[in-house]
Amino acid sequence: MSQGLAGYIIRRLFWAVPVILSVSILVFLLVRLAPIDPIDSLLGLRYDEEMAERLKAKYGYDRPLHIQYLKYVQNLFQGDLGVSTRHSDFSVAEVVIPKVRVSAGMGVMAIALAFGLGIPVGVYAALMRGTPIDPLTIGSWLLIDSIPVFVSAIWVPWFLALKLGWIHLAYEGVLHPNILVPVLLMSLPGVAGVARLMRASVIQVISEDYVRTARAKGLREHTVVITHVVRNALLPMITVIGLSLPGIFTGSLFIELIFGIPGIAAEALAAVRAPDYDVMLGLSLFIFVLFILANIAIDIAYGFIDPRVRVGAAKGG
Amino acid sequence: MIVDARMTEVSELETSGESRWRVLRLLLRKRIALICIGVLLVFYVAGFFAPLVAPHDPNRQELTVEARLQSPSSQNLLGTDRLGRDLLSRVIYASRTTILFTIAVIVTGGLILGLGLGLLSGYRGGWVDNLIMRVGELLGGIPTLFLMLVIAAAYRQRINDLAFWMKDNTFLGDDARPLLYFLIIVGVAVPFAWVGSARIVRSQVLAIREQEYVLAAEALGVSTVRLLFRHILPGVLPVYIVGLSASMAGIAGAELALSWLGLGVDPTTPSFGTMIFEAGGVRTFQEYPHLLLVGAIPIILFLFAWNLLGDAMVDLVEPRTFRR
Repeated sequence: MSQGLAGYIIRRLFWAVPVILSVSILVFLLVRLAPIDPIDSLLGLRYDEEMAERLKAKYGYDRPLHIQYLKYVQNLFQGDLGVSTRHSDFSVAEVVIPKVRVSAGMGVMAIALAFGLGIPVGVYAALMRGTPIDPLTIGSWLLIDSIPVFVSAIWVPWFLALKLGWIHLAYEGVLHPNILVPVLLMSLPGVAGVARLMRASVIQVISEDYVRTARAKGLREHTVVITHVVRNALLPMITVIGLSLPGIFTGSLFIELIFGIPGIAAEALAAVRAPDYDVMLGLSLFIFVLFILANIAIDIAYGFIDPRVRVGAAKGG
Repeated sequence: MIVDARMTEVSELETSGESRWRVLRLLLRKRIALICIGVLLVFYVAGFFAPLVAPHDPNRQELTVEARLQSPSSQNLLGTDRLGRDLLSRVIYASRTTILFTIAVIVTGGLILGLGLGLLSGYRGGWVDNLIMRVGELLGGIPTLFLMLVIAAAYRQRINDLAFWMKDNTFLGDDARPLLYFLIIVGVAVPFAWVGSARIVRSQVLAIREQEYVLAAEALGVSTVRLLFRHILPGVLPVYIVGLSASMAGIAGAELALSWLGLGVDPTTPSFGTMIFEAGGVRTFQEYPHLLLVGAIPIILFLFAWNLLGDAMVDLVEPRTFRR
């Protein structure tokens, strides 16, 4: 790793701190200023003034906003994310971590599937350029991409479970085969996007001089394709892969809602509707930090794979 | 090996057998693009002139056994829903919601912010780049759907109050509420719509500006504007357009998703999202398949046309691909 790159990474991490702080303020204000009251929904029909006051004091909601925020940050640095009012005062970590596990399990499978299918499909389509196979391949994946999840999540279970009776849909945990259909429905729409970018990238690389040189040297075709074309064509894909990484943990709201999977997205929706202040805040900060880390990882990966970018970044920054 | 044969074809397209395929494929491509444009035009024209095209009022209910949940007939070409509303008219008005939403978001978010900020960020570098990318991170990092949920769900009461105020105090009258809800979902979508494309544009610019022809142009003292638009932009466009056309479907999907959750457009505004939600459920589909099909097929067609068109456009825009 060169001196420039190390400094660059340190600068990026340094930048991340104010960004994370300002996001936490933004989300905090957005959540707290909303005309919703967790105490209201907590007490429901049993609402009475005294009880509400006491609960407000208990959770600290009666104090000024900036004090509440500072208290929150202070607790945050001690690893305390607060309590979930919706889940009778269990800590946010206790509520959220099992759901993160579920979503992460599904997310890893879904993203691995989307890229595992998309990259070869894209390379294949690019190599088939000039024949009808190319548009047919890409086109059929695009059709799958065009079906909204909440439509395919009706059609596919109807066909496989009701019509054919092949599968069961009850959620039995992330490692149970029943998860297969939800994971497939989650990942298949992503294949077309990956394949299309990969195809465009491969086509661009194929016309580069070094590919012609490699061929002129008499290298075998698949050596040229794998080491010269595909490797270089993966550069623009890094952004896509990197940006999709936080998605591993965020889950698919519609899949979780329709299949009744206790994941992070369904929990987030419930937390917004309840409302459940600390869970909302904790979830959004968690996802945001993941996102920042993914971004830094993208830049580092760029520097390793394409030295031109490193030069450009050093020159620019 | 199959790979070998194809690779030779890509690099040496002069042989006659190969070029016949090429012509056929180009034609096919062009025809696909034409079909897509045709399909999209139908949506955009029908949506735009919805009040003239729709055979019935999309919100007129008829709650008799004979009128509810009817299969397609000569009276109601696509049948009727649970409340006896004409589904064809609802599809046409739902198209209107979708197309207005895509236009509003793509012009503000994708085109102006995405391309502009991406070019600026990649070309200028330095603190400009840092600032734009950090703001992008800020916006792109907030989980989009989650924030949309917070605004749409938590602020619903305040939005409703504002709608009532607008109804009484502006010239909009009864249109105030649907308009306000529409503007809010646009406003929620725009800040996120540009980040992805700006990032793609920037990464392309970073690679292109180190190319010899750009350095040569710079050395010749070409003006910044000319350098950006003449030398860098053409190289950026292919990947940008892939990104943009991919996001077109995604943008339409945002409205679809919010409306499906009941947090999107005003309930009186027909939307594919609400139509699909109302017809959702495996059992409902088994009983009345036309409810879901009528809502789902048009929007799938719409999204598919956008996706295909974007895919076909790449080849026409990218000079190297086109020349061959």
